[in-house]
Amino acid sequence: MKRSHLHVAILCVILAVNVVLTQLVVHQYFFQNYAAVLIYGGFNLLLFPVAVFVYKHDRRQRGVNTHE
Amino acid sequence: MDKNNKIPFQEDNYTHNINRNGERTLDRRGFMKTLVGAAGLFAISTLPWGAVAAKELMGLGEKDYARQKIAEVSKVAVGDSVDFSFPSEHDSAILIRLSEKKYVAYQNACTHLRCPVFWVKEEGEMICPCHHGKFNASTGEPTAGPPRRPLPEIKLEIDNGVIYAIGVKRYEA
Ligand code: FES
Repeated sequence: MKRSHLHVAILCVILAVNVVLTQLVVHQYFFQNYAAVLIYGGFNLLLFPVAVFVYKHDRRQRGVNTHE
Repeated sequence: MDKNNKIPFQEDNYTHNINRNGERTLDRRGFMKTLVGAAGLFAISTLPWGAVAAKELMGLGEKDYARQKIAEVSKVAVGDSVDFSFPSEHDSAILIRLSEKKYVAYQNACTHLRCPVFWVKEEGEMICPCHHGKFNASTGEPTAGPPRRPLPEIKLEIDNGVIYAIGVKRYEA
């Protein structure tokens, strides 16, 4: 894979994991495993800062070209 | 001179394609922004679930039920069942006397599609007429057919020869 697409790929994976976790949260809620709901929900929350970090990292690496 | 040829602040957005050379990067960046935004949306959407789950875990979801008379011990023979409703008149329930000392009660709306489950004495099982779901009478666990979750058990109390319903147990599935 092209190196430049690595970050995009990571973000896509994060989003896919988000979908899975959200689904787990809803299901575990109905099975009344409330601890599991909290755990999965926590991971879901954590993924957002990770996504922001990947985005920022990508921007730093390519440079912000809006100034030239 | 040079002053006029600059963007005064860093403009990192993708609606503002002033820099034509950067168009492709901006496209890509816009896509990445959308991905990050979607991740944020997922994060926020799990918050309410987490909040309600936390509330349940802390026991705030436990309800208080008014104690309700079901029947007198002398009127229920071993192996018999009594229909009643608890906690409200719309929650039909069933009391079964399994042995001399052992009584169990469940809300008898089937956990599949809410048909009323009834007690079959000869087979010692609770059966749902709709799709032949079966439940173990001493635990409420489903043993056959479509249901996957146990029937909600009703807590009982026997006082002076009278059986009372005092609460509904939470699932521990
Ligand atoms: S409603 Fe009871 S088995 Fe389907």
